[in-house]
Amino acid sequence: MKKAKIVWRKVPIISFIILFVFTIIFIIPLIWIFLSSFKVDMEINQAGGFLFFPKTWTLRNFAEVLNPNNKQLPVYNWFINSIFISGSHTILAVIIYGMSAYAYAKMQFKGRDIIFLTMLFLSSFPAVTNIIPLYKVMLNLKWLNTPLALIVPGLAGVFNIFLIRQFLYGIPDSIIESAKIDGANDLRIFFRIIIPLARPILIAVGLFCFTGNWNDFIWPSIAINNLDRLPLTAGLQLVKGVYGVQVARISTVAVVAIAPMIVLYAFAQKYFINSISLTAGLKG
Amino acid sequence: MSERVLGRKSSKFNITPYLFILPHVILFIVFFLYPLFYGVYASFTKWNLFNDPVWVGLDNYKTIMFIKESTFYRQFWNGLGNTVKFVLFCVPFQILIPLVLAIAITQKPIGYKFFQSIFYLPTMFSITAVTLTWLFIFNRSLGLWNHLLGTDVNWYGEQPYAWMALVIITLWWCLGVNMIIYIAAITGIDQSMLEAAEIDGASKFQRFIYVIIPSIKFPLTYTLVSSVIQQFNIYGQPLIVTGGGPKESTFVLLMYIRNLAFGTGNPIAGTSSAMATCLGLVIGIVSLIQLMLLCKQNT
Repeated sequence: MKKAKIVWRKVPIISFIILFVFTIIFIIPLIWIFLSSFKVDMEINQAGGFLFFPKTWTLRNFAEVLNPNNKQLPVYNWFINSIFISGSHTILAVIIYGMSAYAYAKMQFKGRDIIFLTMLFLSSFPAVTNIIPLYKVMLNLKWLNTPLALIVPGLAGVFNIFLIRQFLYGIPDSIIESAKIDGANDLRIFFRIIIPLARPILIAVGLFCFTGNWNDFIWPSIAINNLDRLPLTAGLQLVKGVYGVQVARISTVAVVAIAPMIVLYAFAQKYFINSISLTAGLKG
Repeated sequence: MSERVLGRKSSKFNITPYLFILPHVILFIVFFLYPLFYGVYASFTKWNLFNDPVWVGLDNYKTIMFIKESTFYRQFWNGLGNTVKFVLFCVPFQILIPLVLAIAITQKPIGYKFFQSIFYLPTMFSITAVTLTWLFIFNRSLGLWNHLLGTDVNWYGEQPYAWMALVIITLWWCLGVNMIIYIAAITGIDQSMLEAAEIDGASKFQRFIYVIIPSIKFPLTYTLVSSVIQQFNIYGQPLIVTGGGPKESTFVLLMYIRNLAFGTGNPIAGTSSAMATCLGLVIGIVSLIQLMLLCKQNT
């Protein structure tokens, strides 16, 4: 053991160089848009279209992009919409998936495994054919152009139930049984016992649902036509059309779009990385 | 075990479990299963999205596959070809680069956790945010690349540069996930195996080929398949960055599918569904391989 570790430590210089070079490549686009977001578009034009550092540092781009009265590109509205849509979706997803997983993992009923495995199998069918009929379903429900169209259909997934179910198998039945003896019903057990015990997996699933819903692109851009009601991700495709080649303004929008994810990542990095290994079936 | 504990009531019918799964089962049927099969059904019809579809049998498939004079024929083959090209350009790098990064990170040089975070970070962003971030890097006259390197490459207007730009943007966006999977797998390799190889006189390169690669065979196949599926769904990058150009050489199948069904006031949803079903079949076959691999792993 010890020897292997010593031997492997000789390599890190090369490793460090590789990682360093790649990090530079990875970071440059981010630095570039952060710098560009503080530039003045006029000054970029005067400089012949290119400035690496801002000539005058300004916050005016942010004020313009985030202005709630910006009718042309209501980034502020989109942002609020996205928080509402992805937030509602995540809360519903965690409760609905959690309840299903609890039933599939801890309750006895006829057809339990057949129902679950059939759904798991069917859910692996590629969803590219779904979008057109889903539009029709939304049309019939009169959900087009409403947040419901973006909150609800995504709740049909099965894989997250699978993940929670696997986790719940690890919770001893005796805990549930003793709660039953104390007279708790299943709903109470679910909210008071299962949810707290399954917190790690529910957080992982919640983060996946939140970022997945936030980043969804093709469906929102079809289901929502009203400029004010778009979520951020779908709205951003219009930025190029409005701002054209105004580097500073477009960079500002990009910064506004990625900053929340950087913050979220900074706080929840551990959960994201753990949940990737979980989904890949590796368990660490 | 659980049978005995919770199954006491099973003598009389208990509705509670069904109530617990019901909300999701309904959602699954209405928003996944029904659209899935309706989409396949629609591919055999003439349909404008608003009236009832009219059954036309295999006509849509015949048109997109065999009738050379049809625009749909050209769109289908051009779109499918471009999608396949993109998969072929992108996936090899999406496996190799994360593997190199993962091996470097598992050596634990100074700051390895920081490096890992940086490589994973872009996977958090939406595709539109990613494309906006890169839009001006490759811009011909305003872009960072041409200015820093003093080149005059017309990235979005000429091949092979347009593909290169799309692949680089995609790799920046996606690399992190595979890297994390490889890191987890390499960390799990039994150190004594590496030690034994070392004692036997294996060089670093030999240890890599003969010890590390076979030990992470499963994650390698898994990531290969999942990356292929992911890149078959390419849509946002060409839509926003190149607009499908130059000369529709980066116009991918999903862009045609979307345009036919929703792009104009006159939806051609039947033909569009036929194209989607074909794409779905290709992805389905790849998924099936994945499922088989997962089953093999579990037994």
